Amino acid sequence: MKFSNEIKVGLTIIVATLIFILGIRYFEDLPLFDSTYDLVAEFDDAAGLIGGNIVRVNGVAVGSVNDVYISETTGKVMVEFHVNPNIPVTEGSFATIAGFDALGVVRLDLTLGPASAARIPEGGTVAAGTGSDLMADLTAQAPEMLDSVGEAVGQLNDVLAEANTMLATPESDFRQTLNAAKGSMQQIEQLLASERDRIASILANADSISADLNAALGEDGQSVQDLMSQMEETLATLNEDLEAFQETNEQINTLLTKLNEGEGTLGMLINDPSMYHRMDSTLSGLNDLIADFQANPGRYLKEMKLVDLF
Amino acid sequence: MVKLTLDIVTNPLAAFGRYSRLLFHAFGAMPELSTYRKNLWEQMVRIGVDSLPIVMLAAGFSGAVTTVQTSYQLVTPLIPRSIIGAIVVPSMILELGAVVTGFILAGRVGARIAAELGTMRVTEQIDALESMGLNSIGYLIVPRVLAGIVMFPVLYVAACFVGIGGGILIGDLGGFVPAEEFVDGAREFFQPFDPIFGIIKSLVFGFLITSISCFKGYYTRGGAEGVGRATTQAAVASCVFLLLADLVLAATLL
Amino acid sequence: MISVSNINKSFGEKHVLKDVSLDIPEGETIAIIGRSGSGKSVLMKHLIGLLKPDSGTVAVDGIDINAISYSELRRVRRNFGVLFQGGALFDSMNSFENVAFPLRTFTQMGEDEINEVVKECLAMVELDDVGPKLPSELSGGMQKRVALARAVALQPRYIIYDEPTSGLDPETSNTIDDLIRNLADRLNVTSIVVTHDMHSVLNIADRAAFIYEGRMHWTGTIDELHRSDDQILKAFVTANEYKIGLS
Repeated sequence: MKFSNEIKVGLTIIVATLIFILGIRYFEDLPLFDSTYDLVAEFDDAAGLIGGNIVRVNGVAVGSVNDVYISETTGKVMVEFHVNPNIPVTEGSFATIAGFDALGVVRLDLTLGPASAARIPEGGTVAAGTGSDLMADLTAQAPEMLDSVGEAVGQLNDVLAEANTMLATPESDFRQTLNAAKGSMQQIEQLLASERDRIASILANADSISADLNAALGEDGQSVQDLMSQMEETLATLNEDLEAFQETNEQINTLLTKLNEGEGTLGMLINDPSMYHRMDSTLSGLNDLIADFQANPGRYLKEMKLVDLF
Repeated sequence: MVKLTLDIVTNPLAAFGRYSRLLFHAFGAMPELSTYRKNLWEQMVRIGVDSLPIVMLAAGFSGAVTTVQTSYQLVTPLIPRSIIGAIVVPSMILELGAVVTGFILAGRVGARIAAELGTMRVTEQIDALESMGLNSIGYLIVPRVLAGIVMFPVLYVAACFVGIGGGILIGDLGGFVPAEEFVDGAREFFQPFDPIFGIIKSLVFGFLITSISCFKGYYTRGGAEGVGRATTQAAVASCVFLLLADLVLAATLL
Repeated sequence: MISVSNINKSFGEKHVLKDVSLDIPEGETIAIIGRSGSGKSVLMKHLIGLLKPDSGTVAVDGIDINAISYSELRRVRRNFGVLFQGGALFDSMNSFENVAFPLRTFTQMGEDEINEVVKECLAMVELDDVGPKLPSELSGGMQKRVALARAVALQPRYIIYDEPTSGLDPETSNTIDDLIRNLADRLNVTSIVVTHDMHSVLNIADRAAFIYEGRMHWTGTIDELHRSDDQILKAFVTANEYKIGLS
């Protein structure tokens, strides 16, 4: 069968047009035949978002950005995008710009509102999430945070310095001090054991700071404002913990002082030289006894036999 | 010697002047649809439909080769393989699709147009048309240029389709990048303006190739040798101006 | 009535037509003769506006064809039928379509009517059965006859023949000459024959115009041509007669 020129040309043009339109839709990640659902979001900062970037819901690509431009009236960044029409973009949904501009992979993350709420109409505006520029917010909060951290570290330093001086102070003879310290350490250990929970909570708090930071940098990051307030809280807790720790240290300190001054049983033991001498004479008596036993074992063995007979 | 130097400047200028005048006449003849309607369909088939197989063959291979070479150059495992798709698809859409089609058409269509019109000129067929009271420019040139403008974008779409298809196929079968990753990468960096730019480019290329070839053929002189010269010049000039236009369009529109 | 007055034409440095004037009255058969390269073909192209003179005018039925618009010029051209040197048949069409082409392009005729007219025209040039053949399948003489059929299809008032017998054997040349004379008698057209073939001129023309080195050197009737004692003209005519004598 021979086709006329008109049919050949017409068919070729129609097929090419179809391929062109469907091809664009395919690479824009749109349903090939359904209509799309156009929406708008308003931002202060586009953070490198451009037309063609992907729109995701819970990490699934559902559409793409049509156009990004500055509104002539408000001066804000208007982001026009479209999503698959079966995505329920309800009231309460919000959009955030995510990814790294430096790597060229910026995208629009859409967080859906409650399923029960009304759908945002075609062409409607989706609220903008706050996480527009994570690093900038973090930088803005940095001095405050550093102050808190600096304070905490200073306090820690003080504590350590005191401990240092304590350890460095030469008291009576070295052995005595060492013994005293040994004994003290046991008490400190006990003390620390009792304080373990508190120390653990300090570390846990520090842990949660980095966890929060991680979350913020991660894909489902919470608002940095939230994070910062949490961080401040954490630092306050840390502060309290450090104060408590200092108290503990002071207790240890007084204990050590008392020990040194010979107060308490342990102190007496350590500090009373007569005790030492008495112990010494006891030991020398024991020594004589053993020597006597070695010299005249019979004397002692008789008594032993007697015992045996029993 | 002075005259020769002057000719280097004046000859291209004169040629450009005659080319513009030819286009001007062609534009004027466009409303007389009845004189060329039949020819238009004929030329659309010969420029467009008949060029499809060779264009698709060339585009399929360039898509496949681009994929293989891109994956060969991506040596670091730090870069995801999907980047192959992100490189092959835009290069096909922005550059290769239109330029590969353009070069093939410059050789296939441009040379044929120039030979056809050149022969008609030297055998006085163009004079015969004119002497009958027909507008030879309207009858011969308008349908060819229009067919070029209409059919070149069609060929471009076919080239992109087959080229990207060839890239996906060779990437998947050759184990360079799975089809899904290829498409994912392409989607991540897809700009809706790219294919529009490609269409604009192919419209310009289609116009340039057909109009330059018509110009060379229509003003052929000197018998069979002249026809041969016109044919070669048409193909070469089409390629040169195609590359120039490519650069100008990329610089102004991208 | 075609009147050419004082036209000049140069191609680059080459001055081809120098102050040429010629009047061609209605119904006459005029032969424009001259040696190869004398400018007679260039003069012929001026008659239908394919070339524009650098100075001077060409008037067809009183209309200066270089002063009118292109679309008006094309209307004037429809009064002409031109037989080009090589026939200039459209080689993408067969003989029938070549003859039918002007009818399809310029008339509202239906297919049946076109069929009839084309057959008539082909019969006139004694080629009834070449309709489906492509020009490349025809001999040079046959091509010229088909081209002649095409030239007369629209019943023009003027027919221009550019070297109608060149490159043909004497017998075919005679056939073409007969056709030209028959057409002139039957259709009462004005014929302009551009040729260097004196045999043909003597057979068909009423009048002759001799171009020598770009100038209109001599014009007159065939009788006057025989009696003329212009040396240059005589040389041209005798050279031709010598050639005829040989063949």
